[in-house]
Amino acid sequence: METFSIIFAIFLGGAVLTYFAGKLSSVVQDILFLATVLVPTYLFFSGVSIGSSMPFSLEGISLLWGVNHFGWLFSLIVLGLGSLAAVYSVGYMKGKERRGYFYLNFVLSVMSMLGIVISQDLISFFIFWEIMTWSSYLMVIYSGNDVQRIGIKYFVFSAIGAYAMLMAIVIVHSVTHTFFIEDMIQAYGQMSLQLQIWIPILFLLAFAVKAAMMPLHVWAPGAYSNAPMAYTSLFSGALSKMGVYGMVIILVTMVNRLPQGILFREVLAWLGGITAAMGTLWAIKQDDAKKLLAYSSVAQLGYIIVGVSIGTELAMMAGLFLAVMHALFKGTLFMVVGAIEKQTGTTNFTEVTGLIRKMPWTFFAALMGIIALAGIPPLGGFIGKWMLYESLITSDHYLLVILIFFSSTAAFLYCYKFLFGFFLGQEEKEWAHVKEAPATMVVPMVLMGIFMVVLGTFPGIVLNPINNGLMDLGYVDSYKHLWETSIIFNSWGDHVILQPILYSIMGIFIFFLIFVLWKGYKGTRYVTTKDISSSGEVPKEDENLTFSVGFMQPFMRAVAPVMRRQMDKYYTGFANGLEGLFDFVRRIYTGNAQTYAVYVVVFIVIVLLFKDVLF
Amino acid sequence: MEEVLYNILGAVVTFIVAFVVGMTYGGLTRKITARVQNRKGPPFYQNFIDAFKLASKKTAIHHGVMHLMGPAFLMVSSVMTLLVVPVLSGNNWFPNLNFHGDLIFLLYIMTFGPLGMALGAGQTGNPNSAIGVTRGLSQMVGFEIPWVMALVALMIQYKTTSITGLMDAQAQTGTWLMFSSPFAFIAAVMAMFGMFRYSPFDIVGAPTELASGPVSENGGKFLFVMMSSGSVFTFAKLTLYIDLFMGGASNLVILLIKTFALYMIPVLYGITSPRYRTEQAVRWFWGWPTFFGLLAIIQAVILK
Repeated sequence: METFSIIFAIFLGGAVLTYFAGKLSSVVQDILFLATVLVPTYLFFSGVSIGSSMPFSLEGISLLWGVNHFGWLFSLIVLGLGSLAAVYSVGYMKGKERRGYFYLNFVLSVMSMLGIVISQDLISFFIFWEIMTWSSYLMVIYSGNDVQRIGIKYFVFSAIGAYAMLMAIVIVHSVTHTFFIEDMIQAYGQMSLQLQIWIPILFLLAFAVKAAMMPLHVWAPGAYSNAPMAYTSLFSGALSKMGVYGMVIILVTMVNRLPQGILFREVLAWLGGITAAMGTLWAIKQDDAKKLLAYSSVAQLGYIIVGVSIGTELAMMAGLFLAVMHALFKGTLFMVVGAIEKQTGTTNFTEVTGLIRKMPWTFFAALMGIIALAGIPPLGGFIGKWMLYESLITSDHYLLVILIFFSSTAAFLYCYKFLFGFFLGQEEKEWAHVKEAPATMVVPMVLMGIFMVVLGTFPGIVLNPINNGLMDLGYVDSYKHLWETSIIFNSWGDHVILQPILYSIMGIFIFFLIFVLWKGYKGTRYVTTKDISSSGEVPKEDENLTFSVGFMQPFMRAVAPVMRRQMDKYYTGFANGLEGLFDFVRRIYTGNAQTYAVYVVVFIVIVLLFKDVLF
Repeated sequence: MEEVLYNILGAVVTFIVAFVVGMTYGGLTRKITARVQNRKGPPFYQNFIDAFKLASKKTAIHHGVMHLMGPAFLMVSSVMTLLVVPVLSGNNWFPNLNFHGDLIFLLYIMTFGPLGMALGAGQTGNPNSAIGVTRGLSQMVGFEIPWVMALVALMIQYKTTSITGLMDAQAQTGTWLMFSSPFAFIAAVMAMFGMFRYSPFDIVGAPTELASGPVSENGGKFLFVMMSSGSVFTFAKLTLYIDLFMGGASNLVILLIKTFALYMIPVLYGITSPRYRTEQAVRWFWGWPTFFGLLAIIQAVILK
């Protein structure tokens, strides 16, 4: 397959060219950057057929790249979101410094993610995994803020994951003497029980770091919010899905074959559930939109982990559908935050308010993203949520379903906070100058918003590739008994028929909208948000009526006991303890020759005293 | 085509029934509250008078697109709930959308309206509206937990997630679910306190604190749509409870008796209660109601 080589050649060459093109002119750089992302995307979807593969050998190690249905599903997320985010980046990066650096790392990220999903051997998988980690790390420290705290934290956790994976790869190779993933899966059945348990644990550790699962999530809020927003949409939307991708493969091909696998999956599912609940609660508390969305990403990945680790057909579909949806809506929402950051210079809810009339298209995209995130019909998020609940109920996870339900109901709180904080509420003079974001930023957001609406009624568009991917992994075909183009079933045969629901909703909505506006609309006039009856009085111009500080205070008071414990604190305590230990070790080396002489004497005395015992 | 028209006609009839019943219940509640508090109170048809007065008013001002759409959003969720809940059992008059959605769908469509309405309330810029909304959402997180626990208990016991399936289960065994799954019923009724927002859980509207909260910038037709949406929603929710726990109703009279009896629980409890603070309200739902929810799930797992 030559197309693979061409695609990766364009990615690599384009990345370097784009980096240096900044010296020529910024327009050339933008065009080169777009071409570097869009041309391989086009080539991949037009030129690469599913099932094709490319074996080659490097330094005597035979490697294999290829596309199967499951990898193709994730390449859809990577390249789809990647291209839209690339178009958005051109608008976002206009006038910013170090564009070459940004573009280079962006392209490398997209390339490495594509590499991960087409790698059929562990060596290329690991190499692409590391390129992904490095490029995202460089993006996290792009702004130069808090590099010490956030950058290092991200890197340390990624390194822990990578070493775990490396260890697993070495162990596998020592047993099977090959690097092909296929062979590893084949040989897994004949391994000793100890290895059968340790290999999945090591792999899952690596994937859980990227999927930001509790207790390995602490890097995520900082890293997501510190990277440039144009990249974070990809970071949270696609890059975290690589963890899910690996997790699914390990769970299905290894853990499911273990008799003890059920325990594994239960533990993972509960960790996912707790991640979802805690992530949601922390998201509600945030006053910065970036932080809020970052915690919300952690929570949403929790749902996905629950789905894939339960592992029934419906749960798997739910997890993967949510993965696609999460890429869409979280990509959109991070783009929205980026647009607001660009136009106003801040992302803090306590500073910006009332943008709805200034940035209507951005608001539309945000609204779609939020409705999808909240899982409210008729948008796509509902399908994923519905499947997840039904799969949990039909597979006897009664308490887990309550936990998931709690977190997705609590998610309404931060959903509303996001929309209200930025777009609704009092309009202030300070933001009167704000204009809608440029078209290159608005178009990708709105496109994704529309796609989410379509998926809400015709989920079959995405469920079809998911079904094919799952069949690749050994599941049976679920068309007609779990899903149709616009009907979803659970395994008890209950269903939701989506089309009449969409039409009824639209019908009712339009009827009552007309009823409210009928005859009267022309006679009405728009009044500002200052022209209201506040406790029976009309407020004066200079009166401050903005409500944004302590927005969810009563709720936070109600859940305060749960939030006292913080994983971050434990890690900090651990790090401080280590630091103390190192400090102690350092003190042994006083730099004084007299002390060293004493050490030698003491050592000899000890040897003499205990020579009978020792020798 | 004919079928579609027939369905629309059925939906309209259901809507009118729900509107009239809900409004009357509202009026009766005002009367009963007044009598308990030793006042004379308005006549029971006072709500109709209010509604038609509001409907006939002209709209003079608006605060923007979301404000205009707020009432319509609210109505979508009420009417959709009404259409998915079977009104009369064993009767082809109101088929509506009964077979198109299940309980999980219903739970979500019920939250659609309050959120849409919250957006409308948000755009008015009145801080009281936004405070009311945050309170309402917090309370929702509170009562949804016991409510979902009760529903999950029913679902796993009868291995179905559809409302019609649960009604069939009751018809087959001949016992109402409120007797065969008493803990689920208790949890659900406790959750109902939060759903209907009477005292002590009237923190959203909170007349003396928030000047009626989210609805405060709405008058005329806006308020009429909200008011009728509230009535329809009340009826739909009561019917849902009847369907789930009390065997449904085969004709309108039985339906009215059952719903009214059920409706009086939160009303009578509320008349003599003062108002909770938000965090107290939220925590109340995570106390005894959740405990009964847990019992319900345990019972369902044992009996399954």
